[in-house]
Amino acid sequence: MANRPQIRTSDSALIAMIADEDTVVGFLLAGVGNVDLRRKTNYLIVDAKTTVKQIEDAFKEFSSREDIAIVLISQYVANMIRFLVDSYNKPIPAILEIPSKDHPYDPAHDSVLSRVKHLFSAESVASGRR
Amino acid sequence: MLFDICFMPISSQNSVYCTMFSLMEKQEDPEPSTVENGSEKQEEEKQVKEETLLHFLDSTDSYLTLIDSISSTLRQGWLELASARHDMGASRVNTALLDLKVHSASTSVQVSQQDADSMFAQHRFLLRKWASSDDGESFSAEEKSRENKLPTESDSQLRHRNSSHYSEKTSERNGSPLTLDDQVQKQRSKSLSVFGVLVSPRLRAAQISFETALEILVEIANMRSTMLATFDQVHEELEGTQR
Repeated sequence: MANRPQIRTSDSALIAMIADEDTVVGFLLAGVGNVDLRRKTNYLIVDAKTTVKQIEDAFKEFSSREDIAIVLISQYVANMIRFLVDSYNKPIPAILEIPSKDHPYDPAHDSVLSRVKHLFSAESVASGRR
Repeated sequence: MLFDICFMPISSQNSVYCTMFSLMEKQEDPEPSTVENGSEKQEEEKQVKEETLLHFLDSTDSYLTLIDSISSTLRQGWLELASARHDMGASRVNTALLDLKVHSASTSVQVSQQDADSMFAQHRFLLRKWASSDDGESFSAEEKSRENKLPTESDSQLRHRNSSHYSEKTSERNGSPLTLDDQVQKQRSKSLSVFGVLVSPRLRAAQISFETALEILVEIANMRSTMLATFDQVHEELEGTQR
């Protein structure tokens, strides 16, 4: 029992976002935006002026908050903090890498697929990169 | 019994893998009853291992299919958003207008755990769309309201507060003529009102697209959880056989 990670369940958990402007605006239209009493939002809009440190801080904050169940992160943003995303291994919140307008999804960079791909043969991994 | 697993890419662009594995069984010679019981037990264990592996491969395939689906849904949403920006003007559809007053999310996720006693517990995510902040009632009825067009075995369900049974109860309690559908529309309009009173129909279409994208993302989260849990099982079994 001591070795098992503590599992969180929640009835009403948030969806956090670290993505470009259009993606964040779209999901805010769908009603996921949350601003708490400390005026902290559950999203970070990444643009040309956003630094890697800001992205790292936002990722660390969202992944450690108890009230967040899913963190959506654009894959090109995840690539900027790849070491942090790949080293994340908690079940909750779930980190989902999504494509962005200018950067289509690349399964070779997905952290979840990277974790499971060593079960596949080296040939199939190489052929998938063509 | 041997496993032979190979993966072939269907297309170079999306790198979707199709899996095929073949089983080659040995013919078993007739044996005494005590040895038969032992071999039956071994057969059962192997069957369980095969099922776990199959489950893992299925979940991986479903995960990649869902990723393709989210890509196309998001593309549609971005296109509609760009069209709305073209109609309304860039100054009316941008992040400067976002509401930074204290407010809670209308759309949230319910997290539960399956197989809590197992070493390989999975999490289940359930999307709760447009939950009214005024309504403190909790609805226990769940309906599979979304047609599952994707070849997944996900059991994720969408909780819509649009059951007519509950709408009658709500209107009886509150004395309000609003049905649950009306409440959902009200929440949607509230979300759109950030960008003005009169908004382009393309912005409404973008809203629907991103709502669909959220549903797919919750399915992806469930599939991810299944994939990682079954991967851990398969990995442990492989390590056990190698020792």
